[in-house]
Amino acid sequence: MFDLLPHLLNGLVLGLLLALIALGFMLIVGLMEQINLAHGSLFALGAYLALALTGPNPPLPSDLAALWLQVPLGWRYGIALIVAPCLAGIVGIAVEFCMRRTYGSDPLYGLLLTFGVALVLEEVLRLTWGTRDHVLPIPQSMSGGFIFGDLIWSTYRFYAAGMAAVVIGLVWLFIEKTPYGAMIKAGAHDSEMVRALGVNLSKLRLGVFMLGTMLAAFAGIVVAPIWGIRPHMGVDAVVPAFLIIVLGGVGSFWGAVIASLLVGLAVGVSGAYASEWSLLSMYLLLVAVVSFRARGLFGKKSMLEV
Amino acid sequence: MTGTSSDARLITPTMIAAWLVLATVPLWISKVGLYPYIGVEILIWSIYALAFNLVLGVSGLPSFGHGAFFGIGAYAFGLTQFNVAANLWVCLIGATLAGAVAGLLVGLFIAHRRGIYFALLTIAFGQIFWTISVKSHSITGGEDGLLNIVRLPVNLGVVAFDISDNDSLYYFVLAVFAVVAVVLWRLVNSPYGRLLSAIRQSEVRTAHLGYNVWLYKLSIIVISAGFSGFAGGLFAMAQRSAFPDVMNLAQSGLVVMMTLVGGGLVSFWGPVIGVIVFLTARDVIGAMTNAWMLYFGTMFVLLVLFRPDGIAGAFKLLVERWKARGATPSLSSAPRSG
Repeated sequence: MFDLLPHLLNGLVLGLLLALIALGFMLIVGLMEQINLAHGSLFALGAYLALALTGPNPPLPSDLAALWLQVPLGWRYGIALIVAPCLAGIVGIAVEFCMRRTYGSDPLYGLLLTFGVALVLEEVLRLTWGTRDHVLPIPQSMSGGFIFGDLIWSTYRFYAAGMAAVVIGLVWLFIEKTPYGAMIKAGAHDSEMVRALGVNLSKLRLGVFMLGTMLAAFAGIVVAPIWGIRPHMGVDAVVPAFLIIVLGGVGSFWGAVIASLLVGLAVGVSGAYASEWSLLSMYLLLVAVVSFRARGLFGKKSMLEV
Repeated sequence: MTGTSSDARLITPTMIAAWLVLATVPLWISKVGLYPYIGVEILIWSIYALAFNLVLGVSGLPSFGHGAFFGIGAYAFGLTQFNVAANLWVCLIGATLAGAVAGLLVGLFIAHRRGIYFALLTIAFGQIFWTISVKSHSITGGEDGLLNIVRLPVNLGVVAFDISDNDSLYYFVLAVFAVVAVVLWRLVNSPYGRLLSAIRQSEVRTAHLGYNVWLYKLSIIVISAGFSGFAGGLFAMAQRSAFPDVMNLAQSGLVVMMTLVGGGLVSFWGPVIGVIVFLTARDVIGAMTNAWMLYFGTMFVLLVLFRPDGIAGAFKLLVERWKARGATPSLSSAPRSG
């Protein structure tokens, strides 16, 4: 049993990171009933923007850049963690403005539109930063490793899992304890009624889409030091994200979080026995669960089934 | 033909005209600055896109994992060649069967689904097959691909043609394309095809009329997957190798994109138009800039926003306007479909 412990722990960390990745996707699918296939590219965009802010060549005039590089890495990293998602949020606003035309029609069009946006974004990333892999520099205090139980553990993984847990908690508080959260939940349930009650639904949707984008970008920054930065990193993120939503059930917050942890544990534990095939376990988990529970673990009936 | 009228003809004049034009392609293709091989690619992808459109355009089932069937067909072609018999027909049958069996397997899990859930599950199954093909080094060669696939001679019993050069391969694929197109054209315009259109319009209503909707959906998934596998087999032979790339999400998305750009939702031939536009644009724009996906992606976004019916839809609208030119203008001159 003790042999399995590191794999369980790794799986748990992975699960928290996946939950962070899926969070923005979940908000958008929950309120707007739109599959945002560009989620992965926005995730990658966040990582690249953070790289631009913390890396050795910031996109600033040379004297300003020199001044900026004087700032300690820890501060630059912290600033990037806030500024990069905001910049990505602006891109999200632009995407939402395009997406407006597809509301009310077949959700397939939203999916296709965001697929196109994903292609464009990925190409922009490739043109700007090249095809090679990059490494996001992290502060000294967060990097490195420590020894526990005869094993070397990467310190950063635990910081990342911690950040993921904090953000998941904050989003939960936002949805459950603020009037905006109530509006989002009500909008997901019955958008006609919410509009009739005088809520500006198009503003609400814009806000949710922006928040979803910012969460995607934030996840990108947190995960980048572990997975590395490359143009197609978005696909590695968007596929688990949609899988988790289907597994947990559309529109269920805790469903998504529990599904993330399950997927993380499945990948972690199967990695102990067949590391080559560990990624397959999450798809098999999905197929197994969805065959018996059509709406996922905690899903309710939704528009998407029509 | 997903429009309103059924066409009882076996072959239409348009088809004959199109085949005659296509038959002259090897004569002028290099003079306009394109590689002759692009003709082969266009025909194979056209078969694939027509097969895919049986699911998307005809039956209204958005599959985002069709690359899996295409890729499985490609591997099956190579593996049949190496392990069973180096005969073109045997290999093509192997590719078709492999695609159809994979389609059956997936269909059993997803045939009772529709809409976005259907799309998401096809992505999952596509990824499963992709992961297997990347990881099974001993069978598929993993990321390196399955190499040394030979372009087998076309053995017709009395005569055998060699198709190892691109021009003769092109004519062989053209003949195959003509046959497949006629078969699919008949299929779509048969009572069976009409029923699939009914399912696309309203699954509930069709079920209430007493039809076993599940069985119809399962059967069209199997047929579509079989033809996709067949196209994959041809592709493996044309490329002389099979790679896992064609099975990933982005490539599966490309066939959706081509089908929609061409107008697969409103026209039987839409997917073919889409393939021609996509592959030609790839070669022409790709020769000028590395960022061709940027331009094509932007074009696709604009298309989804403003012309979701695709090129065929826009063409139909133009024809309708032109016909209505002399007539008295009416408020509902251009009814929108799709």
